[in-house]
Amino acid sequence: MSDLLLAAPVRDGEVSRGSLDLLGGARALADQTGGKVTVAALGTAANQAATTLIAYGADTVLTCAEPALETAPGEAGVIALEAACRASEPGVVLLVADSYGRDWAPRLAWRIDAGLVTEVTGWSLASGRLTFSRQVFGGKAQAVLASRRPVAIATVKPGAAVACQPDPSRRGLVQELGVTIPLDPSWPQVIETASEAPTGPRLEDAKIIVSGGRGLGGPENFSYARDLAEVLGAAVGASRAAVDAGWVPATWQIGQTGKSVAPNLYVAVGISGASQHMVGCSRSKLIVAINTDQDAPIFEQARLGVVGDYREVLPRLTAALKELLQ
Amino acid sequence: MQIVVLIKQVLDPEVPARAFRVNRELRVPDVPRAAQVMSIFDGNALETALKLREAVGSGVKITALSMGEKSAESVLRKALAVTADDAVLLADPAFAPLHSVQKARVLAAGIRKLGSVDLVLAGRQAADWEAGQVGPMVAEELGWPCVSFVSRIDRSGDSLHLRRELDNGYQIVRLSGPAIVTVTNADVNVLRFAKVRDVMMSARKPIITWNASALGLDPTDLGEPSVDLLDLFVPERPRHAEMIEGETARDRALGLARRLRELNAI
Repeated sequence: MSDLLLAAPVRDGEVSRGSLDLLGGARALADQTGGKVTVAALGTAANQAATTLIAYGADTVLTCAEPALETAPGEAGVIALEAACRASEPGVVLLVADSYGRDWAPRLAWRIDAGLVTEVTGWSLASGRLTFSRQVFGGKAQAVLASRRPVAIATVKPGAAVACQPDPSRRGLVQELGVTIPLDPSWPQVIETASEAPTGPRLEDAKIIVSGGRGLGGPENFSYARDLAEVLGAAVGASRAAVDAGWVPATWQIGQTGKSVAPNLYVAVGISGASQHMVGCSRSKLIVAINTDQDAPIFEQARLGVVGDYREVLPRLTAALKELLQ
Repeated sequence: MQIVVLIKQVLDPEVPARAFRVNRELRVPDVPRAAQVMSIFDGNALETALKLREAVGSGVKITALSMGEKSAESVLRKALAVTADDAVLLADPAFAPLHSVQKARVLAAGIRKLGSVDLVLAGRQAADWEAGQVGPMVAEELGWPCVSFVSRIDRSGDSLHLRRELDNGYQIVRLSGPAIVTVTNADVNVLRFAKVRDVMMSARKPIITWNASALGLDPTDLGEPSVDLLDLFVPERPRHAEMIEGETARDRALGLARRLRELNAI
């Protein structure tokens, strides 16, 4: 392995925190091997992000500002990344495991015949071979994989790497990728994008999260979780069961196929603790479980546990904490 | 309009962590008594297809397509029981050890053999290895576009409107030609229960089975896997939580508040 390529979608002139964190990981790996880090900045405002990307550790930024990246991000993104691979000839391609990276990576791997490992949580370099760790079987097992092809592609879960301290004096090369991507009328086209702005802190940034599951029994009972969250300045999350039941939006989902969070305090209310949920919150510093079932698997993962009906425990906990925090 | 739904049979994801073992030497799960079930997101994909067929009214055929051993017939039976029209199993000893790219090649051959397919739905990832690769790679094999993480599909004139879930919101994507769509879970696509009458009606439906030669595939042409699985293990299990005791819910709530303070968690 030698040089690295990072895919960085640019939305509204900015790259995501996840991309900057992964860039930090790429930088550290490149420093270990003596390789270079190229970032493919993709989006109509790609140029605006170039300086930031260099400050955060990129050696070269290849920009692609084709309008098709906005209207047909799936199809156009793969074309741009394939061109970026040809231009930079990386040994490793890294993408954030988000709604862009998960979409692009399998198709890019197919096109350039690379070995792909998805949902990576860590990597290690030993005897010149880069191996990737990831969770499988809903977090019940861990697998270590490596590419058998000259190029390895990995989608990396948020939280697996940390951004470098930005250095505005760092120098790097900014180049246009130089590929034109005419919009093919047969491509699926985005006709509307809606952001669901959370009322409190974003789950990804929250220091405290109160999360509700099937045990809450209905959407109206999330008010118990919201009351506690308000006192703590916390975000509210949910298990997959609560999303599937239609009680809360999908953007609230925490777990293997939802968000990965790492707050200081995670309060799980009425969540049984299925491993697919726990992998999404296992990086929390302290997990508290409140559940009526004393045998719920969540008590094997939590640091603190309370057996009881949340309708009795939560209002009292909320009141007690309100008093403590005054 | 023909919709193909890709369905995988997997080790029951509800097997609790405490019962989950692996054979580290062979790098495979080792849970002999566990059930084999339909992968969860494939159920969401199937429900999405059923809802679309209901919305369109007539002229929509749903074909459930699986690749696996003969035992995978049970998930296809389940698809027929919730009123999928046809079921096809791609089974051949040569398919057993295949990895993502090769599986996509076999599935694409199955889709081509079905002919006149307008839409292929697949779960966003399987509930066992959770790679999330095969669906988009089938798109590449067919040369079709791909839309991922879709939670619902609505008809709008001659096009389809797909709701694609983003990390902090959603997009509406207009689709006017054939495509692969990977489906994520939402309240609107939880797979329905089969009606007793439909179970009985579907019991006599045939499950078509195609092997490599029926698909016109030479197993030696499928290529080598592109990744090595070097290790598979069960991570050390954490110890039990410290339980906050107390006679009443109020006592326990106060105890928890105090403990959180002691630990500087609030």
